[in-house]
Amino acid sequence: MQRIFQIDGEETDCWLGHDGSRFVLNTPTGAVACQLDPTGLPGGYKLRAKGVVRELRLAVGPEVTFVHMDGRTYEVGRVDPAERLAGSDGGASDDRLVAPMPGVVVSVAVKPGDAVKEGQPLLVIESMKLETTLVAPRSGVVAEMPFAVGDSFGLKDILAQLAPEEE
Amino acid sequence: MRRIESQIDTNAADYKANYAAMSERLKEFHARQHAARFERPQRDIDRLARQNKLGVRERLKLLLDPGTPFLEFSTLAACREYDGVVPGAGVVTGIGIVQGREVAIHANDASVKGGAWYPHTVKKIVRLLDVALENRLPVIHICDSAGGFLPLQHGVFPDRYLGGRVFRNQVKLSQANIPQIAVVGGHCTAGGAYVPTLSDYNIIIEGTGAIFLGGPPLVKAATGEEVGVQELGGAVMHTSVSGTGDYRAATEQHAFSLAREIVSQWKRMPKTIIETASYEEPFYDPKELYGIIPKDRKTQFDMREVLARIVDGSRFHEYQPDYGTTMVCGFAHIWGYKVGILANNGVLFNDSSLKAAHFMQLCNQNRTPLVFFQNITGYMVGREYEERGIAKDGAKMLMAQGGSVVPKFTVIANASYGAGNYGMCGRAWDARTLFMWPQAEIGVMGADQAANTMADVKIRQLQREGKELTEEEIAAIREPVLEKYKRDVEAYTSTSELWDDGILDPADTRNALGISISASLNAPIDDPHYGIFRL
Repeated sequence: MQRIFQIDGEETDCWLGHDGSRFVLNTPTGAVACQLDPTGLPGGYKLRAKGVVRELRLAVGPEVTFVHMDGRTYEVGRVDPAERLAGSDGGASDDRLVAPMPGVVVSVAVKPGDAVKEGQPLLVIESMKLETTLVAPRSGVVAEMPFAVGDSFGLKDILAQLAPEEE
Repeated sequence: MRRIESQIDTNAADYKANYAAMSERLKEFHARQHAARFERPQRDIDRLARQNKLGVRERLKLLLDPGTPFLEFSTLAACREYDGVVPGAGVVTGIGIVQGREVAIHANDASVKGGAWYPHTVKKIVRLLDVALENRLPVIHICDSAGGFLPLQHGVFPDRYLGGRVFRNQVKLSQANIPQIAVVGGHCTAGGAYVPTLSDYNIIIEGTGAIFLGGPPLVKAATGEEVGVQELGGAVMHTSVSGTGDYRAATEQHAFSLAREIVSQWKRMPKTIIETASYEEPFYDPKELYGIIPKDRKTQFDMREVLARIVDGSRFHEYQPDYGTTMVCGFAHIWGYKVGILANNGVLFNDSSLKAAHFMQLCNQNRTPLVFFQNITGYMVGREYEERGIAKDGAKMLMAQGGSVVPKFTVIANASYGAGNYGMCGRAWDARTLFMWPQAEIGVMGADQAANTMADVKIRQLQREGKELTEEEIAAIREPVLEKYKRDVEAYTSTSELWDDGILDPADTRNALGISISASLNAPIDDPHYGIFRL
């Protein structure tokens, strides 16, 4: 799992090692000794592996590398393992918007009954000379907006409540 | 390292309004900077031509490697002093490249009051020499000064960080084996005579350059002796009789080619090695910063969006992404150099302060330079937070920050109020360089809060004396206080007073930091050590 490559859209675990005399491509199904020598042509190489010799051309970009071999072009991209393995963030989102600090409500953008999208601004609060826009934690319907413009609120007060999600 | 996924919609109305507002500000800023650099009264330009001298910018061109960057400091110093007639405080300072070496440059601008030293001139020179000391940068002085500006001599001469400090710093540089060259392209009179004489190497330009403790008029007044400039302290006398001067240059061009040749004689010292990666431009266009920075300073914005337009490849490894979320901490590269970044996403709470303190210790352990992006209105106040020890946790952050041994760099990106300025490496905390964005503000508190506090004190005082005040009278007290305070907290006031090393176009921030970090690696990094953390 040290390296994940995406070859023509398909993810493959593999990494290149060196056994002291030659390069070894490690794959989930075993290790393959290989050798890559430049041919002198732009981007041209000779690949030797498993007793076979193939000529190929490489075009290396910042995101993907294109490999041209046997009349076909393969697109090889690197997948960030930390990103790929992170999974979804923490499961279900909260239904409530909790005050991150005490403050005053500056403006309210929605009312109970409104349908909102994740990330949509619900209200603006002011605290410590700073106006902060608070956004919907998920898409849904607004159930309650307990504070009106000008109201003060305390730490961890509920500033917005979404209707429970239907299963 | 993963790329920051920007959430910015460049077609949104807010973005466009912000972009327009910042563009407007930058138009003014660039115009002011151009004026400070190049616009002079005709009589001053004529005088330089008559004296057969080049302007300071032409001199820099002769000195610096062509096509290399020059990081100029405090171009708008003194812009709000002396009725604005001393642009740049009459001196150009910065970090440039000569024969492939990073050097600090101090160059008098004789087109401004004959290069006379005003109080802000001295402050700017002392700051430059501090930069040279901290980063172990060789210094090249280009001397052409009428001497201290006598009507303001009390602001130029006596105190600890005034005139004497220039020469004291020269001594300290020499003691630390950091070489200095002086190119004498005008008069160096009285104290000014010590700039070339305390330099390891000096070059005097024939006909225009001269060094003496007292000039011809003073000599005549003191002893009655009548003597000309050249006999008293010209290039020929000093390089052949007194030994005060090392090299005689026939022309300005000759002088600067000699200076370049001298630099290439120096032993090249190895730079400190830190983690590096190959250079990568940011994935997101730095100019998008104009649309991200809100036109209203009170509006909150996500610093990750700012970082995405400054760091290499817009890549950021965030540390503790879900804890103390008003403080964004993480690793990135700038110009290939690994840095630890601390950026404010809101008020500092107990958790965000602790996170900052911990992260700074990680960077010190790792010998990773620190970059601070300030948008800070302060540490949280109120009973709840005092009970949780906000002052104690803030102290831990200061202890970690002030005790850091790695180079630190600060960008005041928006608000810089109160103790938050301290925690985030404000001017007093030895940032190697500190820059401000043009809309940024700095002060003990915001303008409205300060004006209200000051006005309230006055109103209560009057009420105690039995005076009843009408709404209009209260407004009449508050308004002028507010107006003055608003001006006092502006970036132009800060840069005029040299509380920063200059105002930056936000899109230039990446390059200014890149040069600063590169220069800082001329100095070694100590092993980490701290004071007592109040646990």
